[in-house]
Amino acid sequence: MQGTTWRWLAIVALALGVLVAAGCGGDDDEGGGSAATTPAQTQEFAAGTTMAKLQEAGEITIGVKFEVPPFGFKNVKTGAVEGFDIDVANAIAADLGAKPKFIEALSDNRIPFLKDGTADLILSTMTINAERDEEIDFSEPYFIARGRILVKKSDNSIKGIEDLAGKKVCTALGSTYEETLKKQAPKAKTTLVDGYSECLEAIQNGSVDAVSTDDVILAGMIIQDDSLKLVEGEELTTEPYGAGIKEGDTAFKAFVDESTQKFKADGRWAKSYEKWVGQYTGVEQDPPTMTLEEAIDLSK
Amino acid sequence: MSSFVELLTENYGALASGFWVTCRLVVGSFILSAIVGTLVAALRIAPSKWLQRLGGIYVETFRNVPLLVLLVISYAGLRRSGVEIDTWTAGIGALGLYTGAYFAEVLRSGVFSVSRGQIEASLSLGFDYPQTLRRIVLPQALRTVISPVGSITIAMIKNSAIVGAALAVNDILKEARILNSQTFETEAAFFWAVVGYLLLTVAATIAIRVLEQRYAIRR
Repeated sequence: MQGTTWRWLAIVALALGVLVAAGCGGDDDEGGGSAATTPAQTQEFAAGTTMAKLQEAGEITIGVKFEVPPFGFKNVKTGAVEGFDIDVANAIAADLGAKPKFIEALSDNRIPFLKDGTADLILSTMTINAERDEEIDFSEPYFIARGRILVKKSDNSIKGIEDLAGKKVCTALGSTYEETLKKQAPKAKTTLVDGYSECLEAIQNGSVDAVSTDDVILAGMIIQDDSLKLVEGEELTTEPYGAGIKEGDTAFKAFVDESTQKFKADGRWAKSYEKWVGQYTGVEQDPPTMTLEEAIDLSK
Repeated sequence: MSSFVELLTENYGALASGFWVTCRLVVGSFILSAIVGTLVAALRIAPSKWLQRLGGIYVETFRNVPLLVLLVISYAGLRRSGVEIDTWTAGIGALGLYTGAYFAEVLRSGVFSVSRGQIEASLSLGFDYPQTLRRIVLPQALRTVISPVGSITIAMIKNSAIVGAALAVNDILKEARILNSQTFETEAAFFWAVVGYLLLTVAATIAIRVLEQRYAIRR
């Protein structure tokens, strides 16, 4: 009697183990690229270049945001990452003939990720600036965001950045707003968090008075919670987004530029913009024509 | 190596302020956990079944919930339900209550190391139960638990980094990460963070060693 009970337990345990393993396996597949489009024509690359290596490996690891709608966020239903940055990433991966593998890159670890080779490419709402350009290389700007402030709809005390003095403001650790706030609102009490979803939580639970970051990220928060609003008026900063590339890899930078240029020119940019930003904000925008040099000069 | 020294001298203020924040977190949580731990341990060895159960519920709750979850509940959770709690109260509260559960278990084990016979002897000599605890059991129990209390304290010092990360308190780790994001000197920034934590844990280790040499029961 005892013997059979144990045998049954063992069988149940094994069955559970197999189920769990299968479940995890399925998860992994979904977690990968959302649309791994295999290109019709695969480009040939010179041996030894990053492109040839990635094509050979069949996979490119791209660091993106996982909780910043509408640029990079996990779709809770499918488990796949989606957003504007993801569209750009998929376009680059398709041109390369490699499957994109998305990993989460936070504002403060994305540059180390490139340096230590954890990621081959970074597309995570990263503003081009001179300091970062010394550490890594940037592609030409693929999007232009504007710095703005988000407050509760009920809050009428904050009408511009000068009103942030003495107020608590949330932004991400390692973002350009760390500096912007220090310069433009030195009396504001800055709360630095890992990701913008924490800023959303903080303004919702009242532990901060405002959130300051790119307008498109803030728009994503308003989509999630319509009791929030943007502070009207002049934008604080201009934030050209660039793809991050390992310092000195000029061939790969040229390839990424060519790929994003095609993305901008053939209408995919406009389609993606409308899908992720335009339909919510009602603001029309053309693909950026700003050059990398202009973007870097802007930050000086 | 020179870049390491440079990072420290140029950002001494930021790193030092992070160090003090961690110190305050650790000292506050230690005091809270010692008080809560003693009270809960007292419940767990009380002569009433219900009091024992109450202590058991406390220990199982706080020991089985991850610290990060406790922190989110005690800050974001409470604020969402209308309690205007600040980050310090939430941080020290969560870390102190969490560590308190471990404290209670250690104290309880110390009490059980005092033989049943001594308690019976004490009771039959006319001491009442609280007196027996205070004069016979606790002095011996405390002396046996010095070393495990040291381990808990060191674990608590390290756990304080979770508080900093979860509640946007600018502790050692947070200051190091801010420096890292501004200077990109990753190795140097985290090196000094490690040094900061080491200062605290080594200080705790020495304190425990001294206490042990002076008071521990040699068997």
